[in-house]
Amino acid sequence: MPVSIVTELLARHQERLSGFPAPLGQQFEAGLRALANRLTPSQLQAWAETGVELTALSLRSWEAAVEYFRAGANYPPQATWDAIETIGRDALQMAAESAPLAVSFLRAAPGAMEAIGPANIHAWAELGRRLYKGNWKSSSLAAQFYEVAPELFRVLRIGQASRLIIFIDELARHSYELASACLASAPAVLARLDEDDRLPFITFATELAQTSWADSRLYFDRGVPLIEKVHSALRERFLLLAAQAARGHHQRSAYQYFEDAANALGEVDPNDHQQVIMLAEQLAPYSPFAAMDFLTAMPTVLQRIRIDELEAWQQAGLRILQASAEGGEAYFRLQSTRAEDILENLSSRVELSRVGEVLRLYCKALTGRNVSIQTAESLAEKGIGWVDEHRASTDGTTIFLPELMERFPNKEDNFAAMKVFATHQAAHIEFGSFQFEFDRPGAVFPTRRHAFVRDRERPATTDMEAFFDLFPDRQLASDLFTIAEDARIDARVKDEYGGIRRHLVRMQAEELERRPPVEMMPLRNAFVENLVRASLDGLHLVRWPRDRAEAMSRALGILTALQAPGATVEDAAEAALALYEIAVSIPNIHDDVDPGSWDAVEPMEAGQAMPMEAAGEGGAQGSQAQLGGAGEGEEEYESPQEIDFRGDFKPELVDLLMKLRENAQGGQAGQQQTMPLTPEQLAELLAKSVEIDLDAMDEGDLDASTGMFLSNLMKEAGTPASEKGDQGGQPTSDNSTGEGEGEEPLKPIVTVYYYDEWDFRAQDYKPRWCAVKEAKLEEGDDGFYEKALKEHAGLVAQTRKQFELMKPEMFRKIKRLPDGEDFDLDSAIEWMVEKRAGANPTEKIYWRRNKIERDVAVAFLIDMSASTDEEINKRDKKYDDDDYDDDPRKYLSWWVSKRRQELTSPPKRIIDLEKESTVLLMTALETIGDQYGIYGFSGYGRDNVEFFVIKDFDETLDQKIKNRLDKITPIRSTRMGPAIRHATFKLMQTDAKVKILFLLSDGRPQDHGYGRDRTEKEYAIHDTKQALNEAKREGITPFALTVDRAGHDYLKTMCEDMGYEVVADIESLPSRLPTLYRRLTE
Amino acid sequence: MAENGSVQGATIYAVEEYSVHEEPYYLPIGDEVQLFETAYRQRIPVLLKGPTGAGKTRFVEYMAYRLGRPMMKVSSRTGEEVEHRMPLITVACHEDLTASDLVGRYLLDTDGTRWVDGPLTRAVKVGAICYLDEVVEARKDTTVLIHPLTDYRRLLPIEKLGQVIEAADGFLLVISYNPGYQSALKDLKHSTRQRFIAIEFNYPPRDAEAQIIAHESGCDDRTAMDLARLGEKVRNLKEHGLGEGVSTRLLVYAGRLIAQGIPARRACQVAITWALTDDSEVQRSIEEVVTSIFE
Repeated sequence: MPVSIVTELLARHQERLSGFPAPLGQQFEAGLRALANRLTPSQLQAWAETGVELTALSLRSWEAAVEYFRAGANYPPQATWDAIETIGRDALQMAAESAPLAVSFLRAAPGAMEAIGPANIHAWAELGRRLYKGNWKSSSLAAQFYEVAPELFRVLRIGQASRLIIFIDELARHSYELASACLASAPAVLARLDEDDRLPFITFATELAQTSWADSRLYFDRGVPLIEKVHSALRERFLLLAAQAARGHHQRSAYQYFEDAANALGEVDPNDHQQVIMLAEQLAPYSPFAAMDFLTAMPTVLQRIRIDELEAWQQAGLRILQASAEGGEAYFRLQSTRAEDILENLSSRVELSRVGEVLRLYCKALTGRNVSIQTAESLAEKGIGWVDEHRASTDGTTIFLPELMERFPNKEDNFAAMKVFATHQAAHIEFGSFQFEFDRPGAVFPTRRHAFVRDRERPATTDMEAFFDLFPDRQLASDLFTIAEDARIDARVKDEYGGIRRHLVRMQAEELERRPPVEMMPLRNAFVENLVRASLDGLHLVRWPRDRAEAMSRALGILTALQAPGATVEDAAEAALALYEIAVSIPNIHDDVDPGSWDAVEPMEAGQAMPMEAAGEGGAQGSQAQLGGAGEGEEEYESPQEIDFRGDFKPELVDLLMKLRENAQGGQAGQQQTMPLTPEQLAELLAKSVEIDLDAMDEGDLDASTGMFLSNLMKEAGTPASEKGDQGGQPTSDNSTGEGEGEEPLKPIVTVYYYDEWDFRAQDYKPRWCAVKEAKLEEGDDGFYEKALKEHAGLVAQTRKQFELMKPEMFRKIKRLPDGEDFDLDSAIEWMVEKRAGANPTEKIYWRRNKIERDVAVAFLIDMSASTDEEINKRDKKYDDDDYDDDPRKYLSWWVSKRRQELTSPPKRIIDLEKESTVLLMTALETIGDQYGIYGFSGYGRDNVEFFVIKDFDETLDQKIKNRLDKITPIRSTRMGPAIRHATFKLMQTDAKVKILFLLSDGRPQDHGYGRDRTEKEYAIHDTKQALNEAKREGITPFALTVDRAGHDYLKTMCEDMGYEVVADIESLPSRLPTLYRRLTE
Repeated sequence: MAENGSVQGATIYAVEEYSVHEEPYYLPIGDEVQLFETAYRQRIPVLLKGPTGAGKTRFVEYMAYRLGRPMMKVSSRTGEEVEHRMPLITVACHEDLTASDLVGRYLLDTDGTRWVDGPLTRAVKVGAICYLDEVVEARKDTTVLIHPLTDYRRLLPIEKLGQVIEAADGFLLVISYNPGYQSALKDLKHSTRQRFIAIEFNYPPRDAEAQIIAHESGCDDRTAMDLARLGEKVRNLKEHGLGEGVSTRLLVYAGRLIAQGIPARRACQVAITWALTDDSEVQRSIEEVVTSIFE
């Protein structure tokens, strides 16, 4: 039966199909045969008729028919007749519109049937049709959609696919290429996501396509790894946040927000993501950007506060956000001073950068020296022997502290800890740890060290070196000296500084808890460890074999004696010497006796413990006493575990460094001849010293790192390191003093200052936003100044005269005062007359001379932006043109004369007039004797505000400055705010009573990033206004002068109640400027 | 007119009649007492140099007391023999102090004008020690008066009266100035300063200062020592945040507060930290020194 219906249908349609290429017929037959067993004859018949109908729809619709028939042979078993029929109907509709579309639809249909099931076939067909817009490109996009169906529906449900289509459709409106690329990668991209995250992924994509479609490609390419940075349970919520941000309009692209936030979350502990995203979601209703910025800020913020403190910070920001979106956004961008302040208040950790100045003054107070404070990291970077980036130390002039302190849960304790660190280092300086003199006796211990001096080839470079040279085991000696000296220092600190005692004791107790178990150590190590404990006030924690108690007891007695108030560093050295003798008498072996025999030890009486004057009891024989070293068959001695708050103590290195510095300064007069140091000597010294671990400093061969180290050390000490040791015979001091400075290249020294910037939208400052780079302006031609004077000779004379008239009398007589130097005769007579007449006369009948001091300081701020390059004549050209319209000959002669004039003297630019006016003003100022500074500013971007010093307040007008004037040239942009702030700073350094800031510009403030975009003016104007206000608050009178004819509109806002003037006729600037200044100060 | 009187507990003296009655506490640091005595005997004017609160004024008072102590016999107007004390006239100079403020002026009276001697004139007449504190602050015209008084002439010209007064035998001019904070403008002119011998005052060494603090404030020795230590530390900050180091006077104030039961840290805060500076960073630094020294 099936066979018969097949043959029947074949025969029936034979004729219709014969007109088409052969594959049509072949596929028809194959399809019929495949379906014959699954469909009823009537269904089969309907199927065949639909196919035949397809062929007739258009010229190329037969191709669709081929695919239709081929699909018939390929339907999966679950294909129902309904589905097959639907496909047919959809295919007919499509073929009517676009045969190729139908072709790809039909070609994908069997696969799709398998992927989404027969029930969804129509919906699928519809999705593709939505992409079809009647043109070729859309048709191929829709075709592509059908083609990817099998892969796509492996990862998407049909409902989700419709969302994808919305996205692709949106994207296609902008770019078919992009849409096609995204569609092609969609299955693979989506496959990498968790099922729940796919829809949010598409949602965000859709939003992206609407606002910044070009980023979709990036998103598809890079989005997945970014999303994977977010905790898997939260990715959906994160994407929805990103989608909300994409819905708004903002400067930054939504993708950028997404990428930054995802990267930021990647740096945050995934366990905190829940809390972080929850807090971000609270912000989103007010500003989705703030929410994204909040996420982006997380790594920075969470570095400073704990996750449980985060909400407090977020809430504070939320309140600002509710009041003002701009303010809140700036807050969460961390571009607001308030955000910083609140963060700082919440944070329990102490940052050295914030307390450094306080600690510097503190240490200066303690030591009486000009110490500076730096991070321990910077010391390690110097490569001069210190390697640990986190331990406190000092090199005798600078105290190095860890950058952060966060060992306690609250700020006070952390600061106290930092202070204990600083105090210990300062105490090393204050109590003379680095003042060791080999020949000076101590105050407590008898001097015995001389007995151990051995013959040496050359005298020791430093006293510390001479001391350590006494010991065969230098490491042991160094450790013992460190313990002794630290014990002495701690005792002195406790004695002198009662207030810090509590914190110091606490730190000591903490350190004691961290000490390794002493019973496990070989004996000599245990001995040293016990000394460490005792030095930390841990006498009760000393454990020692009972049968050896005497040695330990003596050692503890020595340590106690050293803690007497009068002890000096020389005493510490003597103590170290005595301890060394005891230490080497103890074999470094494990005592096999059972641990129960270890017991506490009481220190011996100081007097008893004190070694005898003559020599040590051990190896002393005759005058040449000997100190022992490590014995045979012992375990290697290991230095005790470090003590945190005491940091790195390197007396030998510091001693050397001080010596080098002294040498570099040429030694002090009257002191003994400073010994020149040869590099060989240094190298030998360093090789010996146990304080420097050259291997740890740099990998690589030892010689190279030694060389590097030496040159670093020389540099640190201010001595130029010699290349080939040619200074061997010469004193280093000769080499270093003069030439060091002479060789300095003539590059201007740039000092960087940081200033906040006012964000009027956020109504808050952006902290440390602008970097102002101050440098002296280069010197130019020396003729300019005189030339300008000559050119304006008349004006100069006039100005000078005007200003001379202003020259104040030193005293001015003021009359009618209630008290004064003498009677004012007129008033006195009046008084007498009235008195006689019985009236009640005024008592004000004295006069006095009041000193009128003219005490003015003025800072001139000259705009050196590129716009000042404009030629002045150009501005006026249109007037000229009109005049000569009728008479070409007249025009020609004018033109010729103009050309000639231009050749002899080039056309003047705005800047030239600014310069000339400045010259005139300077003569005026010199006449009147006001303090003045002349500065130029320009720059590009907030990190690069250039501030040129032409004449600083404390410089006097000389040729150098005249030459600098010539170099005033147009450079770049006009970021006025920071320039004004810096000029304010300069003015505040003067002690004049009247301070004036005179701003000379040619247009509105403008710079890259000085406002939301290039065209925005408000931001720059508001910041400038704020800067001027700040100056006013400091008691400075600001005055703005512009040559921009359009200046009135913005100057009105910028200067509100301050003085300003627009000089419309720029040629009059040279005469106008001095006049204005005179008026301002009269 | 110069009657000693008492109004509501305060004792009123005419300027030339004030003298130091009780021995002021003064702890000599060096040979300044001997120097001053010798200078006085020789009538050589003295310039006291030193920072504020270092004890210059106290020193002058102490010397006035010492020099008056031998009870010089002087016949007063009544002819009685009275115990003579060295009168001490102190003038704090300020920038509006003119020559006539020192010499005297006509004042209005019911019937016309009346001449009133200024403090310097009075000192010259009675032979007192005239102490011009912070002399550089005064106007330059005062030097016209100082010069003839400080050389061999010992004359005070009174221009308005057309008189010249020869100084009484006991008269000595003592001036003080603080080289620390005055600007270059207000430096003492050489023609002036080379008429004086100069005694330099500085803050006393720690132990001596502790002794002074303990005596003046009545606090215990330990506290006095800590205060002296604090003083030394804070003075290290001079010119690096502080214009002037903390004076002994302030340390004494702090000691007095502590002696009366104010907690040490608080006492130092009000008497030292806040008194010294308004710069919050420097305040904080001083506070840290205070909390390091005091519990």
